[in-house]
Amino acid sequence: MQLFTTLTRITKTALISLWRNRWLSLAATLVMILTLFTVSFFTCLLLMVNSTTTMLRSKVDISVYFNDSVSNDQIFSIENTLLARSDVKSVDYISKEKALEVWRSQNTDNTQLRDIINDAYNPLPRSLEIKTDQPEDLEGVNTFLSSTDYKPLIKEISYRKNKDLVDRLIKITTFIKYVGWILSGLFVIISILIIYNTIRLTIYARSEEIEIMKLVGASDWYVQGPFILEGVVYGILAAIISSLILYLAAQLFLPAAGNYLGVANVSTLISNISFFAIIVIQLLVGIFLGTLCSVFAVKKHLK
Amino acid sequence: MKNKIMTDLDIKQKNKTVKAEPDKVKKADESVVIEFQNVSKKYSANIEAIHDVSFNVLIGEFISLVGPSGAGKSTLVKLLTCEEKPTGGKILVAGRDISELKKKELPFFRRKVGVIFQDFKLLPKKTVYENIAFALEVCDAPDSEIKEKVPKIIDLVGLTNRAFSFTEELSGGEKQRVSIARALVHNPKLLIADEPTGNLDPVSTWEIIELLFKINKQGTIVLLASHDKEVVDSLQKRVITMKDGKVVSDQQKGKYNL
Repeated sequence: MQLFTTLTRITKTALISLWRNRWLSLAATLVMILTLFTVSFFTCLLLMVNSTTTMLRSKVDISVYFNDSVSNDQIFSIENTLLARSDVKSVDYISKEKALEVWRSQNTDNTQLRDIINDAYNPLPRSLEIKTDQPEDLEGVNTFLSSTDYKPLIKEISYRKNKDLVDRLIKITTFIKYVGWILSGLFVIISILIIYNTIRLTIYARSEEIEIMKLVGASDWYVQGPFILEGVVYGILAAIISSLILYLAAQLFLPAAGNYLGVANVSTLISNISFFAIIVIQLLVGIFLGTLCSVFAVKKHLK
Repeated sequence: MKNKIMTDLDIKQKNKTVKAEPDKVKKADESVVIEFQNVSKKYSANIEAIHDVSFNVLIGEFISLVGPSGAGKSTLVKLLTCEEKPTGGKILVAGRDISELKKKELPFFRRKVGVIFQDFKLLPKKTVYENIAFALEVCDAPDSEIKEKVPKIIDLVGLTNRAFSFTEELSGGEKQRVSIARALVHNPKLLIADEPTGNLDPVSTWEIIELLFKINKQGTIVLLASHDKEVVDSLQKRVITMKDGKVVSDQQKGKYNL
């Protein structure tokens, strides 16, 4: 009962002083909105870049084209050998008919060219399309296929043509990943410092109040309570507003970004970013930071 | 009655009087509530605000503490509210050394003491009513008690029409009255008044002195730091005179003679 009365009083005091110090509260909330928004924005961007690179990496494959003299059984046995490798994710067999289909779909504009190759005359080779777990593993598959055992059977391996491109893609995506995480880490540290400093200043402006409360006989808990609660309110308000801005920004800019990147379905870019999760995380972070910063900032004045 | 005040000022309220440590032998005299034992306070190597001050305060006393500016009156008040700690000697309240109060006990001690601060120390973003109610709120007083007592004491100090003004909007004299009301509202056992009439006109001054008298009659010890000669002379109460951080005289029914 006593606890209830105390909690009610602390809540009431906090709400009243939030309003009476509204400019100070507004400034603190704005700073929190900006920092929360910046961090979430970059995190989303990073997640998008990550899912894009993952998508790009998954598209990197290696195709082996076989001489027409090779029997289907031989090809299937190679397919099975490949599937047995731990670094191979999938192997697709492309028959002559399938290759022709692809040829046709790729050359719909130019019927003359398209019809050069037809059911009667089909020089397109049979091939295996191999995907690995990591693009880095392609090198191993390439070495394996280039060994002397298979040399007479194989017409061509696409990897040799694309090696430069694949290498560069691997480098760029790893670079983006690491730089992204380092930047996010830095942003998080910077925003914690900014939020702490802001809350510290708002409390510093009211240090006289804290001293008086103590002289009148308020317990540390009674003095701290309203300040901590105010910090929590800043956090909640900031999280809600920052989420809203982020949501609106996503609605406005994602379709344009999708067009620019040539990704038809934008949602694939952010498929692993749930907006609900963003709100919840921001709320938790906001409340956590608001509380922690207030606790530390008031402690200094309580001595 | 005597015993009640003794235990009320005692924080632990238990086993205190039974203890017979050597330095508490004087406690045999049960009417002693506050004891200053050779108290000194140095703010820095060169500045000694109080030097070797000793005196006792008995139950129900009304003491005027007088002396020129810089005599050490305010330091004495700060020592008594635990705002500062003595650098030498001891201050015993109800037999307990208050510089040894634990951090958690300090608020409980302060709730038993009412202080009218020289610089008022009012909460700036709160109204008159809220400032006074705050002293009761920290004591965990129920809402009903707050609703009953606060308007009464506001009326007593004549601020009813100012009850919902912010303290920043008040004049010096009005702030002083708020400070007085806050110090009295929770019926403290010890009332310390540091220049409570400094900002008041003669009529208000007498009203306040009158009020302090009334409080004292109800059993509260009053310690009045003042340099208002007229007021102190008319009180006909004990006067402790300080100069340069030392007690130079301590007289029953004393006068302001500096």
